[in-house]
Amino acid sequence: MTHRGPFFGWLFSLLLTVFIWVPLPSAADQEGTLVIALDTLGGQTMDPILEGRAPHAHYQAPVFDALVGFNFEKGGIGPGVAERWELADDGQSWTFYLQKGLKWHNGDSLTAHDVKFSLERTMTKESLASRASALRRNVKKIEVIDDHTVQIFTNGVQVHFPASMSRAVFQEGQLMPKKYIEKVGVKEFRKNPVGSGPWKFVRSVQGDRIEYEAVDHPHWRGKPNFKKLVILLVPEESTRVAMVRTGEAAIASISPESLQEVEVAKLKVVSVPSTMQAVYQFWGAYRSEFAKSPIADKRVREALSLAIDRQSIIDHVMYGQASWPMPFATFGYSSDIDTARWQAWGKKALRYDPARAKQLLSEAGYPNGFDLNFANTALPGTPYMTQIGVAVADFWNKIGVKVKIKHYEWGAFRLLYRGDQKKLAGHTSMFRTAGRPVAAARYYGGFHSKGGHHLFGSKTDCPQRCQDFDNLHLSLVAEQDDAKRAQKTDKMLEMVADSWMAVPIIEGKGYWAVNPKKVGHFKPIPGRHEFGDVFERMPLPGQKAWP
Amino acid sequence: MRRLPWTSLIIIGAMIFMAVFAPVLTPHSPTDQTLSDKLKPPFWEEGGSTKYLLGTDIFGRDVLTRMFYGARVSLIVTALALSVGGGVGLLIGIVSGYVGGRLDSFLMRLVDAAFAFPAILFALLLAVTMGQGMKTLVIAISILLWAGFARVVRGEVLALKERDFVALAKVHGCSPARIMATHILPNVLNTFMVLVTLNIGVVIVAEASLSFLGAGIPPPTPSWGLMVAEGRGKITSAWWLSLIPGIAITMVVLAFNLFGDWLRDRLDPKLRQL
Amino acid sequence: MRRYIVQRLLQGVFLVLIVTTIVFFLGRLTGNPADMVLPEDASEEDRQEMIETLGLDGPVHTQFFIFMGNALQGDLGLSIRYRQPAAEVFFSRLPNTMKIVPATMIVALVLAIPLGILSALRRGSVTDRFSGAIAVLGIATPNFWLGILLIYLFSVQLGWLPSARMGGFTHYILPTITLGTFLVAGFMRLIRSSMLEILDSEFVKLARIKGLSEFKVIWKHCLRNALIPVLSLWGVFMGGLVTGAIVTETVFAWPGVGRLTYEAVIFRDFPLLQAVIIMDAILILFINLLVDILYAYVDPRIRYT
Repeated sequence: MTHRGPFFGWLFSLLLTVFIWVPLPSAADQEGTLVIALDTLGGQTMDPILEGRAPHAHYQAPVFDALVGFNFEKGGIGPGVAERWELADDGQSWTFYLQKGLKWHNGDSLTAHDVKFSLERTMTKESLASRASALRRNVKKIEVIDDHTVQIFTNGVQVHFPASMSRAVFQEGQLMPKKYIEKVGVKEFRKNPVGSGPWKFVRSVQGDRIEYEAVDHPHWRGKPNFKKLVILLVPEESTRVAMVRTGEAAIASISPESLQEVEVAKLKVVSVPSTMQAVYQFWGAYRSEFAKSPIADKRVREALSLAIDRQSIIDHVMYGQASWPMPFATFGYSSDIDTARWQAWGKKALRYDPARAKQLLSEAGYPNGFDLNFANTALPGTPYMTQIGVAVADFWNKIGVKVKIKHYEWGAFRLLYRGDQKKLAGHTSMFRTAGRPVAAARYYGGFHSKGGHHLFGSKTDCPQRCQDFDNLHLSLVAEQDDAKRAQKTDKMLEMVADSWMAVPIIEGKGYWAVNPKKVGHFKPIPGRHEFGDVFERMPLPGQKAWP
Repeated sequence: MRRLPWTSLIIIGAMIFMAVFAPVLTPHSPTDQTLSDKLKPPFWEEGGSTKYLLGTDIFGRDVLTRMFYGARVSLIVTALALSVGGGVGLLIGIVSGYVGGRLDSFLMRLVDAAFAFPAILFALLLAVTMGQGMKTLVIAISILLWAGFARVVRGEVLALKERDFVALAKVHGCSPARIMATHILPNVLNTFMVLVTLNIGVVIVAEASLSFLGAGIPPPTPSWGLMVAEGRGKITSAWWLSLIPGIAITMVVLAFNLFGDWLRDRLDPKLRQL
Repeated sequence: MRRYIVQRLLQGVFLVLIVTTIVFFLGRLTGNPADMVLPEDASEEDRQEMIETLGLDGPVHTQFFIFMGNALQGDLGLSIRYRQPAAEVFFSRLPNTMKIVPATMIVALVLAIPLGILSALRRGSVTDRFSGAIAVLGIATPNFWLGILLIYLFSVQLGWLPSARMGGFTHYILPTITLGTFLVAGFMRLIRSSMLEILDSEFVKLARIKGLSEFKVIWKHCLRNALIPVLSLWGVFMGGLVTGAIVTETVFAWPGVGRLTYEAVIFRDFPLLQAVIIMDAILILFINLLVDILYAYVDPRIRYT
């Protein structure tokens, strides 16, 4: 976590600022247009509170800055508009210290009043921000201390609050201009948005494209090399690849299936590490009605994991562009965890050992396998999950489990696990965890009795393991001591890993096809599939050669 | 009079043969994966082997085997959709044409509605409601088909109704149901058969389009349409994935259409259909 | 005639009501847009709040009556995804579809009429067989695949044409071919078969005996009659065009209504879906009515009772 004390944060941001502000020796004047073709533009709205899903980090991020930024090298959070932040001694509030001298595109200064205004706007009932309701519950009040300091009082201790203000996690930290919106009104703001990012909004043609123009002054996120940026909506993947081949687009989002096609065409592949983890999980297995069912037996669940040849999935289904997973919902940049320890755990526990798998099945009393209902689905943005699901089902078939696979379109699948999960209980399904630095939030959703999935038990039916988890989680998220919190996080990871209730399959990446004649070599931010915070650092073609 | 379209019959025969004898024709399974053998080209290309005559797909499954089983799935979908959609259309067409009056105009407005309401959207809505699957697909394609059948059959019935033998049957006191079943139905069967044959192509192509939109047969079950849809992004790197099933679809649809044309010339030369 | 039109219009209103009702309830069965907005691990609490934000709380039948009440006043609701009036979203996309559909129809007719006539006049000739083959190919190739193959050939390999998106004249070529092949095929076969029938009829024989020039015979007597079946099957073509438009607009990244409709289904954007379907239905019914009137004009045998 970054609240170690003001000094280190300050030093770090000073270094960063110096690093960015020193002009690059080869920096040409801004020229040319950067064209990027995407599979979705979401709601295609320039009002940050109206885009609930990941596309905001593609098309709103160029225009808007967030309160907390990225760690560009490692992934996870780093300084943003706030250069540092600290937790009050009583743990009941966070204070954010803003960079000085930031300006909105219309020339107004960016101040703490804008931060207060933006957060409050994000928390309104009108807001579609995905965590608006969580913010409403967690934030008590916001106080402006001075133009560059803002203090946010929370309900209880919220150690992970700053992370939720970064685009590394969600969109809630995006800043909007108070004065401008109050002057021109929301309607006009939506038409002519003013932000503080390195790109100015030019126009948006719904269902087709959004155009931007680079700011002409140095920006703390980087001075864009291109003069213009155009984001195109091209839903069909083979068309996107064709456009990159012809040079109509410089960059296009792709799925692993197109990797080979892209390589044959002599284009470059950029893969963003650790953007997601594909998992499978057992729904409602805690219920007494399934006490005699094979999936209630831990040995069976472990056997199913040992039956999967993950390396083969990485090599063949993902064309080598995926990594060995760490424990559920953890990544190289996760906060509060011992990366080396858990990477080693992953290598061993998630190994391919069909003999041991069969042995475990026999021990559990299923030497000839059993019938397993498997719901296959793909979440938005990662269509290749279906193929991973098909491959996993095949590995299970190979150890004698009779997998009954059924495919669900995401919206239909989502219906199954709300409320009492009647239709899904007793099933196994594909799922995903998105690449985010704070594991605890994801564990709440997965295992807490009040979480959306509640794989350990529900509010009304919470067995021992479920109660243990609830208690552990509660004390973890309020733990102010870094070392103790790391300990508790370890314990939480162990608990879930030992249960084999939600099991990682592979760690996926974000895939892009790039035409090297249209854009120079650039590096993505680990964990953030979208490029909204990368465009300004993309070099002109020839400015930086591709390896 | 045209000659019997032998080429068409051979193609159709080959497809049926493949579908019926799929398990005998191949040592491979259509769904079992051999990931290490993925994307092998057909045997005549460099890197191909006679183990997989037409190469393998992204999961290392034999393309030829999937073509065989895919023929089976495509034929089953076609047969079911045409029996359901065609059957309903036939029934509505006969009743509407024979009974006439208000019922007729109500049913014909329904037909209009069916034409005005894009059936493909219905198919999509169904696929997201019921989940992808054979059942959904058959219902969706039936919805696409019934109105066309009903309209053409009704037209035929309107003409038949005025014929002497129907009048005679009425005089003899036959009930309307009996007249429809014993006098009208046999006389529209020719038209019906021609419509069925000509619509086989429509069904196969519709199945492919629905697969493209994500509402077709769910994987791993192979169908030709799904194979084209799945392989469409690999024209440069693995052309055999989409080109082989694509050409197969085109040939089979061509064959059914030519056969349908011939059948029409023989059975019902006046019928106008697409 | 006027009575007929009024009657048809009333029936149209009734049909739109039926279609709307079906779409409303079928849509509600398929899931909730709140789930498409929220992240995958959202709690039940967050979900409930989002449903309220989106105005989707309350029993379905109450929602239905509210929707119907508003719809009758011309208010089709806010698109959930775009947060704009659904009708506005539809009309902002309609012109794009309206650029490509008529272009396709005109091209299809311009190609199909001469080919259909020629192949009927020279039955069994090379022209007949060739155009017959083209016609069936048009029907026999799934058009998403045709579109992708065309892009691959003409944009990627040859570099002659742009691969996608709206733009100048060259941007229309590939989408028009993709959307149009089945139309050309359908028109051509219809024209050919009805031409054959008419050429065989007594009045054409008579005209020929009277010594009218072949051109006049074809032009005055045949073509008009040959076009009748094209009109009578117009509804079928419209249905095909809608499907074709969804697929073609997806492949060519064309920001039209077809693609919008598809996304409304996938995103469970109920208000938008309803608006689009209602507008589509009105549009298609209206066009069909116009065609029927035209049909009556061209073919005096039709009487309206």
